[in-house]
Amino acid sequence: MTSPSLPGEPAHLTVERPGLGRYRTLVTIPLLLMAGAVLVSLAANAYWISTLTSAAALALAAAGVALLYGQLGLVSLCQFSLIGVGGWVTLRTGFAFGWPFELSLLSGGIAASLVGVLCGLPALRLKGLYLALVTLMLAGGFQVIINAFGFPDGGSGFFGRADASQRLMLPRPLLATGNEAYFLYAVGVLALGLMLIELHRRTKPGRSWAMIRAGETTALSAGVNLLLYKAWAFALAGFLAGLAGGVLAAGVGQLDGRAFSAAESLNLFALTVVGGAYNWFGAVIAGLLLRAVPSLLTDHGVDGYLAMVIFGAALLHALVTAPTGIAGQIAGLGQWLTGLIASESTPSPAQQEAPASDKLAAETGERRP
Amino acid sequence: MIRIENLTVQFGAVRPLDGLSAELTQPIIGLVGPNGAGKTTLLNVFSGFITPVTGSIELDGRDLLPLSPTRRVQAGLRRTFQTEQVADDLSAWDNVLALADHIGLKGATIGDDVERALAFTGLGPRAQVMGAALNLYERRMVEIARALVGGPRLILMDEPGAGLDEAEALRLRQCILGIPKAFGATVLLIDHDVDLISATCGETLVLDFGKRLALGPTRSVLDDPVVHRAYLGAA
Ligand SMILES: Nc1ncnc2c1ncn2[C@@H]1O[C@H](COP(=O)(O)OP(=O)(O)O)[C@@H](O)[C@H]1O
Ligand SMILES: [Mg+2]
Repeated sequence: MTSPSLPGEPAHLTVERPGLGRYRTLVTIPLLLMAGAVLVSLAANAYWISTLTSAAALALAAAGVALLYGQLGLVSLCQFSLIGVGGWVTLRTGFAFGWPFELSLLSGGIAASLVGVLCGLPALRLKGLYLALVTLMLAGGFQVIINAFGFPDGGSGFFGRADASQRLMLPRPLLATGNEAYFLYAVGVLALGLMLIELHRRTKPGRSWAMIRAGETTALSAGVNLLLYKAWAFALAGFLAGLAGGVLAAGVGQLDGRAFSAAESLNLFALTVVGGAYNWFGAVIAGLLLRAVPSLLTDHGVDGYLAMVIFGAALLHALVTAPTGIAGQIAGLGQWLTGLIASESTPSPAQQEAPASDKLAAETGERRP
Repeated sequence: MIRIENLTVQFGAVRPLDGLSAELTQPIIGLVGPNGAGKTTLLNVFSGFITPVTGSIELDGRDLLPLSPTRRVQAGLRRTFQTEQVADDLSAWDNVLALADHIGLKGATIGDDVERALAFTGLGPRAQVMGAALNLYERRMVEIARALVGGPRLILMDEPGAGLDEAEALRLRQCILGIPKAFGATVLLIDHDVDLISATCGETLVLDFGKRLALGPTRSVLDDPVVHRAYLGAA
């Protein structure tokens, strides 16, 4: 270690500037995801292709949950409802205007983003359990609304409901009409979503979120606008949930109102924590846990409710002993292995992150446990 | 110049600041007093974390109290904390950049500003090390470097010397001494280390029970028998 040199004498000392290495994940995310998706699409049958398409969509929503929880320690329990909002708007604009799917998808994302900010408004005053409760009640409200009005299926009027006999299916994007192609398309959208988050984390918003994690007084005295950057996180998380809804909608052509219960938002949050809220692939793991693992269990004749029990146990385990989730453990293992292999070379920048929720407990900025 | 007028802070029955008035003109100003005297509270009023029941603070003729905390930062107010506040999962560079982000600096000059602050605090070779991997001295220096970007006017330091060893305290002292000239900022320094205060501060304000006990050139204030009795004698 270099001993710190005398301060006060101006810069003949070279300051090490940040390199491009910080943007590495922007390359690895699409490469890994697309490579994995191509392999899967070659091997899997139609049932698994459709299951994994849903998993990719839900991974997008999980990435939003992870953003709020991992970056700001915020527990939002209405993110699954925002999937519904995104799905609803994607369907509605798709049927009404016959837009290219990408445009409908974008409209769904933007709508969910706006609703996400509205849901997040309480967060600007509330924290922890209170925010969780308020957002859970909002999720319950969404459930009632969706049950009452359902999803658009090609009918007319604001709600776009058709008679049961003539329900329409939303066409898939022209780029990807087949099942395998649409699966790859969904993973492509997931990769873009994850890259969007990584880009945020490595630039001004990410630094601002890090300051908020360090303490709200710290953030304020660094000039961070708390309101703006929290709202921004909610907007981004909502946007990703909205994209998830759009991808789900075009996957099947329709959405079923019963799939958007408040309990699903709870599940989404729990499995995001289990998957890991501090690494990008935690969201991918969460998507798989939400859709692929239950299918796998059903395949082997295990009752779906047992999956819930297993997930409950996994959540407890994550909260008590492994707050960085499965992804954190994998990353830790990876670091340990790289350390083992290259034990003599320069130390890798240890990026192990502590859960923001722990840090936000020490709020005053003056005292730390 | 800092003008504090009739500043009173009330928490229930406690008055951490009680009708405090002072006019501070030196480039480096000491703020001392026994534990609980109200020093940190005064800094919190400067920062906008606490709203006083009466009084005002002027910085170079500008009324500070109507401004939001973030506006105060844009107006050149900076702060380091009694417990040093460094984001563990950002590099030293990004910790400093995290403030430079919010004061309207343009593209390339941001990097130069961050570089200058890190070089000045001697953190150049450690710029890309994560906050979590920095030692206490380096973390304090990161906080100071963060305070130096974007044209600071007044830097409030809350016990920056606490927990440092002798060599580190010496380097800290030289760093603080260089700030007014290199960055054109005033430093308001809280510390219990009388040597640090007398070596750096042209004038010193002594607080006791939220009231002004003494104010004047550091040497004469520290030699004042009243101050000795209230503070130094007790220590
Ligand atoms: N948020 C608060 N609520 C109630 N009392 C406080 C608060 N902050 C500080 N105090 C009280 O104000 C007084 C001054 O504290 P402080 O400014 O931290 O002293 P110093 O920094 O000089 O040691 C103390 O009696 C302390 O208990
Ligand atoms: Mg104090």
